[in-house]
Amino acid sequence: MSTRPGGLDHATLQRAADWFARLNAEPNALHLREAWSQWHAHSELNRLAWSYVVRVSQRFTPLQEDLTASSKTLEALRHSQRSRRQVLRNCSILMGAAVLGWGSWRQRWLPDAMTAWATDFHTGTRPLGEQRLADGTRIWLNSGTSLDVDFNASQRRLRLYSGEVLINTGNDPRPFQVETAEGRLRPIGTRFGLREQHGRTLLNVYEGSVQAICGQSEQTRTVPAGYSLAFDQQNLFATQRAQPEREAWTQGLLLANDTRLEDFIDELSSYRHGHLGIDPQVANLRLMGTFPLHDTDQVLAMLEQVLPVRIERRFPWWVTVVPR
Amino acid sequence: MSHPAKSSASSFSVDGLYCAHHGWIYRWLVGKVGNVSDAAELAHDVFVRLLSQPRDFNDEGHAQAYLSTLSRNLCVDFWRRKQVERAWFEVLASRPAHYAPSEEHHALVFEALVQLQAMLDRLPGKVAEAFCLAQLDGLTYREIALRIGVSERTVTKYIAQAMFQCVLLEAELDGALL
Repeated sequence: MSTRPGGLDHATLQRAADWFARLNAEPNALHLREAWSQWHAHSELNRLAWSYVVRVSQRFTPLQEDLTASSKTLEALRHSQRSRRQVLRNCSILMGAAVLGWGSWRQRWLPDAMTAWATDFHTGTRPLGEQRLADGTRIWLNSGTSLDVDFNASQRRLRLYSGEVLINTGNDPRPFQVETAEGRLRPIGTRFGLREQHGRTLLNVYEGSVQAICGQSEQTRTVPAGYSLAFDQQNLFATQRAQPEREAWTQGLLLANDTRLEDFIDELSSYRHGHLGIDPQVANLRLMGTFPLHDTDQVLAMLEQVLPVRIERRFPWWVTVVPR
Repeated sequence: MSHPAKSSASSFSVDGLYCAHHGWIYRWLVGKVGNVSDAAELAHDVFVRLLSQPRDFNDEGHAQAYLSTLSRNLCVDFWRRKQVERAWFEVLASRPAHYAPSEEHHALVFEALVQLQAMLDRLPGKVAEAFCLAQLDGLTYREIALRIGVSERTVTKYIAQAMFQCVLLEAELDGALL
């Protein structure tokens, strides 16, 4: 029987909030995630409580659009001691009761909720190194990635919502399947990478082979090791050579192989906070080389040495690549 | 706090309530917000809320108490919005002149800030600060601990406390609590 609305108690909400705080404290602790999964799976009520945690997290999402200004504004508001009392005096009422505005906002934002914290794995600007799943499968998550893991007695299923994952499947008799917005993938004893970007799934196979199936047209193709394939819900595009750079990030490297500078900067920006832009005049320069992901400032300095560009830092969080 | 409907057919229609209460609500709001056009809009909002969340009242006193709470809450929202607006414009004004985000982008972030501030206002200062530093600035608990001068354990406690207050609020708004 499902929980009717009105069944939530404070203790369950408190436990959900505690889980949130602990998972945040140790984002990479697999044992915590597993314990959380058990708690989450345990009852409808726990899942309901967790759905509220997800909602609250989502409230911060629009602020990412302008992180620095948002952060500064909230800080200014925190520090203006006066403000709080002034509002209270103006209206002679306790703040705690004033929650009406929030309700209206929620209606506007909820439809695109259920991304980040609803998923089992989630990364921001830092990739997440090797993670071992229950069946021995190993996965690596690139920056900006959301992924769900759903294993049961008869099957192993992953769902990639955004970002990029490299998967080295474990030896296990249960069928393995990965789902993306565009379709499904069935690996056969293999190592492969998936990237979800601009309404397409990009598959790179490094070992074994992977069968790709379009979600709508059900077009199917098996891609062998050393090849890559992009597809959307309707079409499979031409099979091409595998891209070694789509595996390099798992080693903490960003590879450029005759890459347009704009594309390179676009990718680099997913590994750092703040704005990283490029002047259109240098967008089409080509770049070769191997760059360390853990220090994006160093990568920018390296660019100045190998290309006719200059790094303009208006603020620490506002960086633009311009012609020299 | 639920009100079991004792009388099945409510004698308090929104029409009737509007006639009986709009006058004093409007005058009270003029006094609080200091101008007639904002007051008129807020008074209107009170009844829009009532239409969107109909409820039964036991008697005239109950209706009046509810409407006055609603009016005060809208008034708090109004002043908070003004404050966030001021802080936000100050931050924007300190930026380089050529940095001009689109109107849409601007409105989106501002709206989110107003709503978030409504929630953060419920939290003790350091708790709100820790929550923002974690959620918005992406600091680790260790970094937050250093910044606000408490232990990492306390930061974990603060984050749990902040999240609890927020989910409680969400659940309340949904009517999902026991």
